[in-house]
Amino acid sequence: MSRFRPPAWFVLLLPAIIILAAVVLVPLILSFYSSFTPYKLTRPETLYKWIGTFNYEKAMKSAHFWAAFGRTVLLLTIALNLEMLMGLGLALLVNKVTYGQRALRTIMMFPMMFSPVLVGFQFKFIFNDNVGLVNNALQSLGLTDRAIPWLVDGQLAFIAILTAEMWSATSVFAILILAGLFAVPRDPIEAAKVDGCTPWQSFRHITLPYVMPFIYIALAIRSLDVARAYDIVQIMTNGGPARRTELLWTLIGRTGYVDAKMGYANAMGYISIFLAIIFTVYFFRKLNAARSELGMAG
Amino acid sequence: MGKHKLKVLLGATALAAVAGYASAAEFDGITLQAKLIGGQQYEGLYGRIAEWEAATGAKVDIISKKNHFELDKEFKSDLAAGTLGWCVGSNHSSFAAQYPNLYTDLTPYLTKEEIAAYVPANIAASRIGDALVMLPRAQFDVSVLYYLKSVYEDADNQAAYKAKTGRDLAPPDTWEEYKEQAIFFADPPNFYGTQYAGKDEAIVGRYYEMVVAEGGQLFNDDWSPAFNSDAGKRALQWFVDLYEAGAVPPGTTSYLWDDLGQGFASGTIALNLDWPGWAGFFNDPDSSKAAGNVGVKVQPAGSSGKRTGWSGHHGFSVTETCENKEAAASLVKWLTNEDSQKLESAGGSLPTRTAVWEYVLETAQSDPYRAEAIAAFQAGAGHAFPAPQTPEWIEATNLIYPELQAAILGDKTVDEALADAAEAVDEMMQENGVY
Repeated sequence: MSRFRPPAWFVLLLPAIIILAAVVLVPLILSFYSSFTPYKLTRPETLYKWIGTFNYEKAMKSAHFWAAFGRTVLLLTIALNLEMLMGLGLALLVNKVTYGQRALRTIMMFPMMFSPVLVGFQFKFIFNDNVGLVNNALQSLGLTDRAIPWLVDGQLAFIAILTAEMWSATSVFAILILAGLFAVPRDPIEAAKVDGCTPWQSFRHITLPYVMPFIYIALAIRSLDVARAYDIVQIMTNGGPARRTELLWTLIGRTGYVDAKMGYANAMGYISIFLAIIFTVYFFRKLNAARSELGMAG
Repeated sequence: MGKHKLKVLLGATALAAVAGYASAAEFDGITLQAKLIGGQQYEGLYGRIAEWEAATGAKVDIISKKNHFELDKEFKSDLAAGTLGWCVGSNHSSFAAQYPNLYTDLTPYLTKEEIAAYVPANIAASRIGDALVMLPRAQFDVSVLYYLKSVYEDADNQAAYKAKTGRDLAPPDTWEEYKEQAIFFADPPNFYGTQYAGKDEAIVGRYYEMVVAEGGQLFNDDWSPAFNSDAGKRALQWFVDLYEAGAVPPGTTSYLWDDLGQGFASGTIALNLDWPGWAGFFNDPDSSKAAGNVGVKVQPAGSSGKRTGWSGHHGFSVTETCENKEAAASLVKWLTNEDSQKLESAGGSLPTRTAVWEYVLETAQSDPYRAEAIAAFQAGAGHAFPAPQTPEWIEATNLIYPELQAAILGDKTVDEALADAAEAVDEMMQENGVY
């Protein structure tokens, strides 16, 4: 009677599989399952009550959910693009500096050292309508004689949140792109100079293609990590007032932890994840199609 | 005879020593884990835990110290995960109803006399059904009116107000008068008539007490929403009118308690409905520009003649799963006994024991401001009522407050906002199986 012996590759991979299953798979399956239950944190027995797609239907029919979804997509699109452009600009400027560059690079990293909660409090104070820095400065300079409600008006609050988010994250782009700039070889740039290229031409056709992979990496990292801005938004406006700055993070966070409705919160989370995956696949295909038209596929 | 007396005395001493020894060993070797509210104003009391440890032989291990909102999330996570090995937790009358199964009934661990020593209204608000789920500490909260005396003493203000309304200028006794004066005093962006908490549970609490003062109720007996009524509309209109008139800072819809306290202390707010914890802060020259200029008065009344009085208090509870409930109950009693309450109320917070109220009033007599404040709070406490005692309270507030904000900011009319809020609360109550 021979005993079953699993293949060696499986045995070797087993520790990794067990750890992955424990920290990724189990929570994922549990949260997905709970989205089909009326699971409430304060009533653990509700985890065993199956209610089918009730939570999903409720979220799909909720105008508040879709408004928050749209606002989140808008915030991500604007924030990531502006951060990328400003980070690129900052990196190009710092790259030109010959004396004190190390000190500059260190200073550039300061915002990354602040926890998002602190950034939230800092900008909440800066944009406070009564005692905030921005209003006091504007009033002292005689630019306005009224208290501008930065965190109350929907569009102004959006700008305030965007400013806080960009302040804290632009340097991530700058640092990663700067690393890319250091890797650009000098020869082609000097050759381009000799051939009479303008600075813009050498940037567009030599520097940028070299830096592009770094920009993609920075975009990928930031798009995954941008939800950290939850803390900033939570502190600054918590989605309010009157849901004017409600994002998916604040809505789901409040539903899950304050209302204790974890089942419903998970359903909203999964709808957002599925939609994000569908969008990503769609845009990726579009991008690839565009690249192959330009002869850049490969 | 003399010998006999000595014997009795010796015997009594020995008995006392034995009793003392017995009580010292009462909970020997027991360690209680506790999750307590943290923050400067709450920490002083925890110094007394060492005395209780020395007296009983038990040890207290504080495993979590956070503000109530964070503790609330932690308790919910503990309930979900079943990590309930700890024994003593800070509780609050506004949160308690959310976790009906978390805490044990303390009635078996107290005598009737011990319970009767607390203010009856506070004990009533510490119950869920018949179960006494917490013992109240000297952190009772009800809001009264703080005002800047200078705006009332100003001769120009007095003349202008008399010319405008035909009445003498004096701190308001009704909410209608309060609104009128707040609009009268406002001079934005440098000076505002008043301010109010503008989000989360805070604004719903303020709205709730205003509805009651207008003669209405937030919920019917079956917990269906009752605020979409004439009283409810009048109450919300009060907030809307103040905002539209520019009598409150434009950012008030994002303000919570700290913003309000700092705002009044900046000396740029004439009238402020606020909690007892701020009384010392407002009159301290180091922290407040309004120091020396602060008047305190019982909170105004609504059109029904009732005064506002949304109140709450902190307390300590013992978990149902605690293995040493007796020791835990002893600690909770210790933390809310007369000496503990005297210690805490020396910092300006309000007691929840009848005897300590008397003590506080007596000791305040030498300081006119403190005496004025304590008298106002004692009067205010007479009109106090707790937050609606339903596990759905916080969830309901999360549905109501965005609608209140929408009306205040002009996104919706008062009628639309209340209809939407009532519909959302009704749907939630049904979904949660309340009716």
